[in-house]
This record gives sequence, structure tokens and C-alpha cells, in this order.
Amino acid sequence: MREILIVGRGGQGAQTAGDQLARAFFTEGKYVQTFATYGGARRGTPVTSSIRVDDQAVRLRCDIECASAFLCFDDSLLDEGFLARAGAKTTIVVNSAKSREAFCDYSDFRILPINGKDIARQNDMGKVVNSALLGAFVAALDQPGLETMCGVIEQTAPAKIQQNVAACRQAYQMFKDSI
Amino acid sequence: MKGENNIRLLSGNHAVSWGVKLARPQVAPLYPITPQTPILEKLTEFHSRGELDAELLTPESEHSAMSACVAASLTGARVFTATSSQGLLLMHELLHYASGARAPIVMFNVNRTPGSPWAFWPDQIDSLSQRDTGWIKMYSESPQESLDTVIQAFRISEKLSLPLMISHDAFYVSHAVEPVALPQQEQVDSFLPAYKPELRLDTSLGQSFGAPIDQATWNRSRRETAAAMARVENEVLETGKAWGELTGRSYAALEHYRTEGAGVVIVTMGSMCGTVRDAVDALREQGSAVGLLKVRQFRPLPVQTLRNSLAGIPCALVLDRNYSPGMGGILHQELKSALFAMDDAPRVHGFLTGVGGVNVASMKIQQLVTEYADAEPSVDSVWVE
Repeated sequence: MREILIVGRGGQGAQTAGDQLARAFFTEGKYVQTFATYGGARRGTPVTSSIRVDDQAVRLRCDIECASAFLCFDDSLLDEGFLARAGAKTTIVVNSAKSREAFCDYSDFRILPINGKDIARQNDMGKVVNSALLGAFVAALDQPGLETMCGVIEQTAPAKIQQNVAACRQAYQMFKDSI
Repeated sequence: MKGENNIRLLSGNHAVSWGVKLARPQVAPLYPITPQTPILEKLTEFHSRGELDAELLTPESEHSAMSACVAASLTGARVFTATSSQGLLLMHELLHYASGARAPIVMFNVNRTPGSPWAFWPDQIDSLSQRDTGWIKMYSESPQESLDTVIQAFRISEKLSLPLMISHDAFYVSHAVEPVALPQQEQVDSFLPAYKPELRLDTSLGQSFGAPIDQATWNRSRRETAAAMARVENEVLETGKAWGELTGRSYAALEHYRTEGAGVVIVTMGSMCGTVRDAVDALREQGSAVGLLKVRQFRPLPVQTLRNSLAGIPCALVLDRNYSPGMGGILHQELKSALFAMDDAPRVHGFLTGVGGVNVASMKIQQLVTEYADAEPSVDSVWVE
């Protein structure tokens, strides 16, 4: 079973990204479970989306204690509490303008920054980074396929569909080129 | 499931809304509250698209919503509502009224911690604290079960003229998006007959409900409720079987998972059942004979079936996601009571796991089994870190 966590601040689209990623895995024939947890005041407070992907129906109904992959919407969330749920083999993709070297203090983890904000701006998406981050994330995971991910974004993005898809593709390509 | 048609990714709450739509209620008084609100929102969406031919009422509080439910139900309408935590507690007075009036209302509750302190986490104390209000009470493990149960609930409730409350846990079920099989409308129509009560508020009939009565008549009303309650377990079983014939998914008051030859049976309800299944499989693989007894129907408590299920089992571990201050875990206390004076009853350990929504991982459950399977139980429920 693959266990994935997406962490963001309320209003950034972490929950939407979790639903879209799960939907993409489901489209490729996997069983999925995704759920978001959040506090009372949602906007600006940390929101976590948990995703389980398996070849059989998911029965677990508990938190993910050690994720195989992380998508972090904001590098200010990259703290001890967050990293306690990551292991040495966990892939962590983080939305940050910083270079990969800037994360060398976290040598126990595989942290891969992507400048989602810049990609979003280039694609007329303002501060809405979730499609760009999903593009980078599926590039890092090698699953689900880019075309599946873009198909789900096309079906579910509430507005600016072509811009969302373009941001996803650009981030995917940038990420593949960088590794 | 992959071979089935019409599988959709739905959250537990939206699965409930789909089930309600398929059951064709005529009146739905609703008031929003986290984490129930997606049920209301999806029903409103169906209504706005002309896919739900019901009167949706949005009163000023949950107390008024339940008042409207009682009145609408007594006119002979099929009635649904949904709530959570504080909202359910605000309805408390009317919950007694609804069952006393024998109004077959179906309500969905999303289990959430009540304040204070203020929080939104999965904890069953909101619904369990309503256990003596005369409602049939059921607990669901998954989005699929929530959809299936809400449809079955109308048939059970209307057959026995008793209100029925189904609960699922916040987030782990309410917000868990999973593949859910949607039944066809024709299937549900064939399963669920239209509700046409003989006794109802109708100006052409000139009948009334709830008039002041003497002591003996009030006493008799509760004896009649008791007689109806005594029929619930069988009705849950028959309805669950009929649903199984239609969809391949059968249900009963209790579910046994790998309890054959078990030395330890874990007893719990709601979302934790899913994680327990994983723990049971892991322990069986290590050679420990462990099983799960899932309590789906909590009121009326299926006492005799619980006794039969646990007779001769050496050890039972009860996991409670609730805490009754001054007493302990409610399922723990109820199970001990149900097994009273039984010669071959198991040793019963009670654990306060998951109170306030804290995480209960499969490994934690496995550790409890290893640590307590051969231990002498304490009378009190044990807090688990």
C-alpha cells in the first residue's frame, strides 16, 4: 500500500489536490482512500489530506504515521511535527522558491523543492499552486501518469481549466528535467 | 468491486446523500454543522437540479429541524435529517418526543467531539449520550455501508414506527473519499415501498398525536415501544439479507470477522472496525487466533446474540471511541452488562482508545492484544496512550 500526505494551509487547495490525486490513481484502476483533516478555522491553518493507494480495497481508518511520499504546499510547514511522519525513504516535494541546496540541513530526508508559485504565475493562475504542485508530485512518484493527472484536472478544476492543465504539464517537465 | 457498474469516488457524507436521494424522502429539515454539512450541501445540489423531489426546510436551529421532522413524519411523509455533535445535543428534547410519538424519522449523525473544549474530531459520545431516547441506533464503518444503511434504515424504521439514527465517524468515514457502488433507482424502488401509515395527521381523518394522558397510558406507550424494540434485530437481519440479494452486500446487527476458533475477540463499532480487520489479519498471520465482533446495531443492544457470539471465547477486548465521565467506555459497560451471569463468558477488557479522535493504528491494536490476552481484566476501562 502506498501512503501519501499532502499538507497545506486552509484555502491553498491541499484537500482538492488530494482528491484529484486519488481520482487519478482510481482512474488507473487502483483502490484509493483519501480524507482531509483540519481544525476549526480552516483558512490559513494547517490542512492535511491523507491518501492511501492499493491493489485491494483499503480498510484502514486511522492516520498515516509514516508516509511514503509527501507534498508540502508551503515550506514554512516543513517542521519537526511534519517530518515526524516521514522516513529516510520518503519523497518530499515542497513548494518553495529556494534551491535544493537550501534544504541540505534536512539531510535525513529526500526533499525536492519546486517553485509552484512561479509556475502558477506564468500560467495566469495567480497564487493557485495546486495543479503545478500535482505535476511535480506525479513526476516524482512516477505514478499516476501525466495524461491521467491532466485528465482529472480537466474534469474537476472549477475554473481556468487550460491554465491549470498547462501549469501541471510545465511543472512535470521542469521536475523531470531537474532530476 | 472493480467489475461492478456505477462505481463512483464518493466521500462518506456524499454517499449518505446519494442513499437519501435514492430513498425518495418527501421532507428533509436540515441545519448545517461541521462535519455534517456536505450531506446537506449535496442534497441541496440534487434538489436544485430537480433530482430530489422533496421539501427541503432550513429552520433556525437543530431543535426546530427536529420539531419539523416530527410534525412532517406524523403527516405520513418520509422524513430525513442529518446533524452532528452540538446539533444533535440541541435536538435532545425532541429525540424523546419523536420516539414517543413513534415517528419513523431517519437521521444521519456524524460523530464529533462536543464542546468544551471546542473541536471537530471523531468521537462517538455525541450519539452514545442519546442512547436512552428511544431511537434505533446503528454505527457505520465505511462510505459504502453508510449508503447501504441509510436506504435500509427507511424500511426498518417505517416498518416498526421507530425513529432510526445512523452514525459514522468524522473524517475517517465522513470525509473519506472511496470507491462506492451506487445502486440503481429501480433497485431501491423495489426494495423500499412507499410509506403509507394508517395513523397520521390528516384533516380528513380528524386524529391527533401527543395528547396529555394518565400514568397507565404513558406506561403502556413505553411497553409498546419495548415490544417494537424487541422486533428490531430480526428486522435489521431480514432487511440486510434482502439488500444482500439485491446488491451482494448483506448486513446484520453484528458482524463476525475471523472469529472462528478465536482466543481473543475484539469488540468495537464504527470506523475502528476497519483498522481492527487489518490488525486481526496481521495477528492471524503471526499465529494468534484473533477475531473482530463488530457492533452495527447498538440500540436495541442485541444482547442474546452478543452472549451467543462470545460464549466460550476466553477473552474479549472492547475498544471505545467515547468516554462517559465517571464510568468509562460505554460499549465496555454495556457488554459487561449483556454478559451478566453467563457461565462461559470471556474475560472482558475495556480500552478508551480514540477518545477525542486520537489515532488508533493497527499496530497499537496488535500491541493491546499481545499485552492483555492473558491478563486479568480490571473493572474499569483503561486509558490507552
